[in-house]
Amino acid sequence: MEAYILHLSIMAGIYIILTVSLNLIIGYAGQVSLGHAAFFGLGAYVSALTSLNWGLPFPAALVLAMLFAGACGLGLGLPTLRLKEDYLAIVTLGFGVIVDLIMVNLTITGGPDGLVGIPAPVIFGLSFRPPVRYLALVLLTVGFTLLVVHRLVHSYHGRALRAIRDHEVTAQVMGVNTPAYKVMIFTLAAALAGAAGSLYAHYITFINPESFGLHTSILVLSMVILGGMGSLAGSVVGAMTLAVLPELLRRAQAYQDLIYGALLIVLLIWRPQGLLGGGKLSLKFLRKKE
Amino acid sequence: MEGGSEERGSRGTGVSPVIPPPTPSSRPPMLTLKSVQAGYGPLTVLKGISLHVRPGEVVTLIGGNGAGKSTTLRTICGLLPVRRGVLEFDGQELNRLSPERIVSLGLVLVPEGRRVFSSLSVTANLELGSYHRTDKAQVRRDLEDLRERFPLLRERAAQPAGTLSGGEQQMLAICRALMAKPRLLMLDEPSMGLAPRIVRQVYGILSDLKARGTTLLLIEQNARAALKLADRGYVMETGRIILDGAAAELRDDPEVQRAYLGKGYREVWE
Amino acid sequence: MFLQQLFNGLTTGSAYALIALGYTMIYGILGLINFAQGEIYMCGAFVAVLLLATGKVNFFIAFAAGMGAAALLGLILERVAFRPLRGAHPLVPLISAIGASIFLQSLALLVFGPSDRPFPIQFTFSTVTLGGVAISTLQGAIFAAALGLMALLVLFVRFTRYGKAIVACALDRDTARLMGINVDRMVALTFIIGSALSGAAGIMMAIYYNATYPRMGLLPGLKAFSAAILGGVGNIPGAILGGLVLGVAESLGAAYIASGYKDAVAFVILILVLLLRPQGILKGRGH
Repeated sequence: MEAYILHLSIMAGIYIILTVSLNLIIGYAGQVSLGHAAFFGLGAYVSALTSLNWGLPFPAALVLAMLFAGACGLGLGLPTLRLKEDYLAIVTLGFGVIVDLIMVNLTITGGPDGLVGIPAPVIFGLSFRPPVRYLALVLLTVGFTLLVVHRLVHSYHGRALRAIRDHEVTAQVMGVNTPAYKVMIFTLAAALAGAAGSLYAHYITFINPESFGLHTSILVLSMVILGGMGSLAGSVVGAMTLAVLPELLRRAQAYQDLIYGALLIVLLIWRPQGLLGGGKLSLKFLRKKE
Repeated sequence: MEGGSEERGSRGTGVSPVIPPPTPSSRPPMLTLKSVQAGYGPLTVLKGISLHVRPGEVVTLIGGNGAGKSTTLRTICGLLPVRRGVLEFDGQELNRLSPERIVSLGLVLVPEGRRVFSSLSVTANLELGSYHRTDKAQVRRDLEDLRERFPLLRERAAQPAGTLSGGEQQMLAICRALMAKPRLLMLDEPSMGLAPRIVRQVYGILSDLKARGTTLLLIEQNARAALKLADRGYVMETGRIILDGAAAELRDDPEVQRAYLGKGYREVWE
Repeated sequence: MFLQQLFNGLTTGSAYALIALGYTMIYGILGLINFAQGEIYMCGAFVAVLLLATGKVNFFIAFAAGMGAAALLGLILERVAFRPLRGAHPLVPLISAIGASIFLQSLALLVFGPSDRPFPIQFTFSTVTLGGVAISTLQGAIFAAALGLMALLVLFVRFTRYGKAIVACALDRDTARLMGINVDRMVALTFIIGSALSGAAGIMMAIYYNATYPRMGLLPGLKAFSAAILGGVGNIPGAILGGLVLGVAESLGAAYIASGYKDAVAFVILILVLLLRPQGILKGRGH
């Protein structure tokens, strides 16, 4: 039982990183990525492959995973983020499909079977195989993520980002370079998702493309909406709720996606600010115009 | 709708906005606004507007930028809700009617900036003007009639409206509104953005409409042209009507002259 | 070989084009992407297949019923997932449509199960050889039917009162209202037409691939969206052209580059278009 709770906590921690990073895109750049799981997957594969083939130590693999996922985010964000909101959603979704196809088709990625025997992290001779230590590692990363995002949100840049979200044209007129900010945010979010992927790969020790498909992207999106767009605390709660809830409702597993789909619509209509949103952050952009 | 022009001389001396003067030729107002308030979001733009338009009359609403003139028209058309006060047309309250219903009652607006459907043909624009009408045969006759009066509508029938010049688009926008068979035609700044020569042409069309007895409610920043055409006028400032009276009186009013006509402004609308 | 692939591409491309028309029309009038378009496609296919499986329904009636069911689903979606959110930040209805898409997909999965259903009736189609190219009359029939539907749509938009009213709403909503056009009704009509076309595409592809399954709409929906962008969003001829071009590119890409990456072709094109010419091949109306 204790091991099970540890496992759930580790998974919840990984989902928190994913949710917070996606919320950065949604809540602070007013865009939506449906390929977040692809960045997650890229991070997992890069980290696993560099450890397995080159024997890189975990910290190096983690950094490479973040750099690679971030670079892909940059490459994807540059052409699309200057366009309307909707384009990024579709492009990231398409990107997810492409990444999935690459993972399935390449031999180096192990095709549909994926990779096995990914080593547990060893840092300065200390093995993180015991779940308690792994949890500590994950929590450390969660803390780091929250810190970075919190600083960003409350910085000058953060205010610029909220300006973008609330009124893009005004922000542009005021001299905020919106495309550049959006690209920066998107790159950072992709890199964070890559970090989550690395943590996931070295914890689970085997990965295949199935874990990084649209289903996961939607799950993370549901976590963001549940917690509230633009709310950091909300993302933490949203991620924990949806990471634990399915375990409690095992019998309802078949209905999981059905519930998430309905949840998205119902929440947006009845409580667009999410469960915890509507606090100190401006949510003007969610309200209807008269 | 005929016979309005000979009555017009005897009217226009009344100052009271609501009660019509007891001259025998005057008819009861068709459009009445009583202390109407409206606005956008937290902003109240119209702070209690009262005005009326009688059948066959040409009434103008003048005032500076941001006085609330366009908001008044948008409210009459139902694009903005009436927050307080009463909006009546032929004794029927319009407060809660949708723009679609209001058009079918015969209140038709030529919007600011012409707003022709640019990628649709000239003819399609005209047909959309008659969208709410069910008298198909009469619609066809009206279209023919307009094409006789404005040969351009026939010459450019298949051309996308966006390719017309500004003046031509304004003419098309007016004709599109006429296709709706207006009982009261409202125009929002018909001279905006047009060269003086073109403005004269547009006002030529309007005075032709006046001669045919069409009831007009005209909004203008170009007060000189508007007061020349109109029978009566209202002067608006920051959401209120500050002055009203016969057009000729307003033209001679020193306050109006100073604020809206500009001293020494050369008469160009001969 | 080349001509063969070209014709295969035109067949699937005509389905993309039909779905893309739905995207483009809805985008034109609402400025929103109806993310659940692929599920509407799936719904059309399922209704037709289930009706035909009873063995009591004529093919043409089943086809019409499939289109009708798709139209109804589109109408319901508009009411449930879009209309309550009108006026909100564009992100909000987008996510709500994603929710609708997931919901419908998993609902179909629960009700119909994950496996493929073959098309209940077998068509006896022959193969015509034209200049060394084997074209099945099935492909020809699908292509012709799709072109027919597109022609009907173009005629509707250009020459009917409602068609012109829809264009007017897409161009300038307020002015359209001033003409007495009920915008809500036109939005609903647009959803009905766009969804019916997607439903028809779903049935055609259910016949072509002989498979109907809950996730069948996912990739065609995404590809059709790429097609709509390729042709310029809001542009009806553009959507048709974009769909056909994409179908052909995909077919040729699979044949000459790598068959494993067939599904990636559309998205590579999408990203290239956004990079090089975001307004599409034919200029989009945009919003």
